[in-house]
Order: sequence, then C-alpha cells, then structure tokens
Amino acid sequence: MKALRRESIVYGALLLLLALVLGQLGFFDPTRLSRGVVNLITFSKDMIPPDVTILPLAGRALFETVQMAFAGTFLGFLLSLPLGILGTRTLFPPPFVLTVRVIVGVIRTIPSLLWAVLFVIVVGLGPLAGTLALAFYTVGYLAKLYAEFFEGVDPEIVEAAKGVGANRLHLARFVIWPESANSVLSQLLFMFEYNIRASAILGFVGAGGIGFYMQAYLNTLSYQRLATLLMMIFALVLAMDLLSTWIRKRYLPTT
Amino acid sequence: MRSPAAVRAHDVWFTYGSPPSAGWVLRGISLEVPQGCFWAILGPSGAGKTTLVKILAGLLTPHRGEVEVLGLPIEQGRIPQHLRQKIGYIPQQLGLVRGLTALENVLLGSLGRNTGLLPVLGLFPKADVKRAMEYLELLGIAHKAHEKVFRLSGGERQRVAIARTLLQGPKVIFADEFVSDLDLLRAGQIIETMRHFVKRDGITFLLNLHEIQLVQEFADEFLILKEGTIVYQGEARSLTMSLFQEVLEYHGESSPSCAVGALGNRVDL
Repeated sequence: MKALRRESIVYGALLLLLALVLGQLGFFDPTRLSRGVVNLITFSKDMIPPDVTILPLAGRALFETVQMAFAGTFLGFLLSLPLGILGTRTLFPPPFVLTVRVIVGVIRTIPSLLWAVLFVIVVGLGPLAGTLALAFYTVGYLAKLYAEFFEGVDPEIVEAAKGVGANRLHLARFVIWPESANSVLSQLLFMFEYNIRASAILGFVGAGGIGFYMQAYLNTLSYQRLATLLMMIFALVLAMDLLSTWIRKRYLPTT
Repeated sequence: MRSPAAVRAHDVWFTYGSPPSAGWVLRGISLEVPQGCFWAILGPSGAGKTTLVKILAGLLTPHRGEVEVLGLPIEQGRIPQHLRQKIGYIPQQLGLVRGLTALENVLLGSLGRNTGLLPVLGLFPKADVKRAMEYLELLGIAHKAHEKVFRLSGGERQRVAIARTLLQGPKVIFADEFVSDLDLLRAGQIIETMRHFVKRDGITFLLNLHEIQLVQEFADEFLILKEGTIVYQGEARSLTMSLFQEVLEYHGESSPSCAVGALGNRVDL
C-alpha cells in the first residue's frame, strides 16, 4: 500500500510539472493557438498546387542528400566498430575504457546540425561538410551502443575463448563480432534511416543536400515549391523505412 | 604408486563479495589430483563446484591459498601462454559461439598457438584444420562441420566443445557440469567418449557431475563438496547413492570445518 501511494504521488507530481512547463511555453494562450490554426490553413492553401517544375533540380539535391547520409553513416560505422571494441570492459582495463567512453560521450553531446556548422567553417560550404557532420554524429551514437552490445555478449563464451589463450583481436573477431553482429547491423540500419532525415536539414546551414533549397524556398515564400520538396522527402523516408524493414526481416532474424 | 600431481590446491578461500563481510564460497579447499586421472566433483547446488573449477582453471583468483597446475602457480591474468594452452576449460553452457560453424568453433581451440593475423582472416594452418576435422570425425559429427552451432542439438554441441578443447592440446581439462542438460544415456555417451580421449592422451580431467551413476562408471576418484569444503573423498567405484546421501546428511549436522578429508587426505570409510 505504501509503495502504491508513493507511486501515485510521483505520477501526480510529474503531471503537475508537465502542466507548469506547458503553461510557460504558451500552450494555454487561446489567442496564439487560434491564430496558429488560421496560419496553418493559409500556409497549406499556399502550398497547393505543388510546383513540379523544380523536380529535376530537387531530384539532384535529394540524390546528394542520400549520398551524404550513406557516406556519413558508413564512415561513422567504420569508426564506431573499433571505438566500440576499445570501450568494452570485458576486453580492456577500466581506465582505458573510461577514456574512450568520455571521448565518445563528448562527441555525442554535439547535435548533427552543430557539427554541420563546425564543418562548414572548417571545410567550406557543400556536401563534404554535411557528410563529415553525419559521420561524427554517427560515431557518438553508434560507438556507445556498440560498446554496450559487445559487453552484453555472454561472459561464458568470452571466458571459454580466453581460456584457450585467444588474444583480444581474436576475441573481437571470433566471439564479440559473431555474437553481436545482428544487433550491430540492425542499429546501423536505424542510424541510416535517422541520417537520411537529418541530412535533409543540414543544407539549412549550407552543408549540402536538399535542405539548402528548402531554406531558400522558405525565405522567398515559395511555398508551392517547398511542397514539392516536402513530398519528395516524405517519399524518400518512407521508401528507406520500407527498405530497412525488408532487410531486417530478410537478413536479421531476431534470435 | 602415484604419478606426480597435475593439479594442486592448498587452503583455497574464495568469496564473490569483499571478505570478511560476505560469506565464503570456498573455505580452505586443498586437493591433489595425480596426472592422468579422472576426478569427479559432486555436491548440492551452491556448494561452490563451479567456483572451484574456475579457480583451478585460472579464471578466478582465490583470496587466500595457492593453486598449481602442472607444477606451475596459477594466478588470474598472470598465466604464461604456454601454460594457458595446456589448460582446457569447458564451461557449463559450453561457451560456443552460436553464429560460427562447428568447425570454426573447434578451430578456436587453436587460437593460443595461432596468434597472428591470418586466423583473423579465417585462415588457419592446414594441419589444425585437418586435426579439427579428425576430432569431429572421431566424435561422429563430421557431417555437421559446416553447420552453424545454433542449428545443432544439445549432444552435438557438447561434442563440438570437446573437439575444441582437444584441439587446444591440453594436459589438464576442467569441465563444469557440461552434460547436465542431456538425458542420462546421452550424458553417459559423452562422458565415455571424453574418458576415451583423456585416457588415450594421458590428460588429467576434473569434472563437476551430478549423476552418481556416471561418476561410478567412468571416474577414477570423486570428491563431495558441501558449503565450500570437501567433506568426502573416495574411489569412484565405491560411490553409491546412499553413501552420497549419508555424507551430506552427516555434514549437515556438524560444522563444516570439522569435515573429513578437508585437507585432501584420502578417507576410506
């Protein structure tokens, strides 16, 4: 009974907190909300009909977006594997693992858009900056997850291999990798889906891809053109999700 | 008349917590296993059998006491590679890599010798591949060599684990109840096969085993472990169910520190 009462107090407090925060953010301001609805209707009307004359241009930009996502995810993945291994406590001593994890943690604190701004400064405008941004963001995310997967491998299997005198490279290749490959690849697909979405907005800061045109059309109020872009992105994301679902079903059985 | 000891433990104490607040899992274990002998360790669950085997195999470090294998001291993390290779270890769940084939799992046994980059690329010395196949043949599962382990049955997996340990070329094998998932008949077949190999190659074999019939039939000597102490030691032929129960009951009422055979001396009742 005591535990139950404590639980309901916690839930109540959480709801109260939510209400307070929503109030501060303007959710209980009826005039703003009703004005918002009117704006939304106008905006939607302005988008119809979508301007399809920009399709060739937008197609090229979209292709660049996919290229950035592919290259960025792949590069990040290639870096995440060794970093994940180095961050695995079953293989390396704690101080070493901690250092690796702190580095990965620092990389993870920076969102992909901020990486894009940084790389635009470093390597200039264009898709190179966007690709590097996605690669770094991917490392921060995947390296941490992979280290956790690798650590989750049944310790008995690791012990048995250590028992025959296998070194760390062997352990990584013959025990850690085959035991966690499914989850590793599954997360890689997830990351690719995420990076497709993320790379669509990197162009906002000049880091290549379709985002550049989105921002241009937004600034010039060309909502009919913007509508075309949005529909293309929607189609792409949907296609990628379907593709990765299919790959998962076909090649990554959950056993 | 005995050959020199292959495994020697002296006054081994162990706890998973921090002593002395946590209870001791092992309390002053001493034993001496002669070379080429097959010893079985019996005891109720929680008696410390797994812990003892892991300590002897050098996978855990005791808090007090010494362990020697083949005349060399064992300490976790500080086992010279040439000794590491001479110690085989089969864990309770076998420790096979499910996503690799039977043959690949057997070849893992040779990693102590093949330390270079070639094995990482999947290239093992021809001689090792040949021997691995021979062991699979002798164990009757050569036709499953290229099957992934997760497709194999329990008994087939046991054979893969045995082949892996044999390919390692050990002088001592420690095994932790690795047949307990099988029915008695199959478990008997596995132990018999194992006995054949260890006797042929003069390997010392220490095994945690539940089944009294199997101990009686295949082992040379047995120990009974209870609450972290050796309470009885005897010739395997002399083991019966009633003896086992008597020993456990007798020691249920007395303090473990007064146990017979706690210092590894043979006690014939």
